[in-house]
Amino acid sequence: MNDIIQGINPSDDSLLIGGVNLLSRLFVGTGKFSSHEIVPRVLEASGSQVVTMALRRVDWKNPQENILNYLPQNTILLPNTSGARTAEEAVRIARLAQAAGCGNWVKIEVVQDQRYLLPDNWETIRATEQLANDGFVVLPYMSPDLGAARRLQDAGAAAIMPLGSPIGSNRGLQTKELIRILIEEISLPIVVDAGIGRPSEAAEAMEMGAAAVLVNTAIATAGDPVFMAQAFRLAVAAGRLGYLAGPGERRVTAEASSPLTGFLQEG
Amino acid sequence: MQIILNGEAQELTPECTVFQLLENKAVTLKAGVVELNGKILKQELWQSTAISDGDSLEILIFMGGG
Repeated sequence: MNDIIQGINPSDDSLLIGGVNLLSRLFVGTGKFSSHEIVPRVLEASGSQVVTMALRRVDWKNPQENILNYLPQNTILLPNTSGARTAEEAVRIARLAQAAGCGNWVKIEVVQDQRYLLPDNWETIRATEQLANDGFVVLPYMSPDLGAARRLQDAGAAAIMPLGSPIGSNRGLQTKELIRILIEEISLPIVVDAGIGRPSEAAEAMEMGAAAVLVNTAIATAGDPVFMAQAFRLAVAAGRLGYLAGPGERRVTAEASSPLTGFLQEG
Repeated sequence: MQIILNGEAQELTPECTVFQLLENKAVTLKAGVVELNGKILKQELWQSTAISDGDSLEILIFMGGG
């Protein structure tokens, strides 16, 4: 699988975030899997180098093993700040994650709305500014909005992560046009996060020019998560190659692919 | 003595260090983090830090998340 993807996608097409050249443009989340044991096989099948996780209180009655014990050594850890309702809470979680040995990458996630889990862009901007100033590589999860994205860029974000549709909904790129505008107008990498439910939707985001996609629920809740991880890996590579190839123009009417001369019935 | 552990009031006897508390709870915190009274407590201080009456502790680990 490695050979196929590395063979078709140009080897110099790496994605630079936080001083790291990423060869894989698929970020994977570790939530909702039926067991920790499946996670290493999923990650291997996905080819992902960037993996998200959450920081939580130890449950004394049912102590779980640390998810970090199941991640390959060279994985870039992207702890999220899920559970944060304000910038201050997000900053606190980011610092705790760093102290726990998670490196300096962080996915800012500030949510107050519990029904749709839509991010609070204003608090997200505030948290991004503070953590970027503290030397974190900040990847904010945000509602796709050009003004907010510009402020995140000014605040020092390393990439912008707009949602395709609500977290865990598997509904795909409902915000497609707004994401397209971000890709066009923002010079930072745009990583489509949340809502991507099918490999074809990941491919579509990549064809549009997204720098990467972050997928969790679509893989974790698939009938066979390892196969689905592999499918996303291929879809992301295919979509990226399609983007680099430069799709042809769309037309309303037909334009024959075969020559319009020399028909049998002529003359 | 009374402490607050992960948001819940608890009676803690006898006196112990943060390290001993984790040991008693049978929690392996290879890559976890401890916050004592709102400040991160570095791992090298777990053995030497005694828990005092009224302390508030947060013991956190990484779980699966997106």
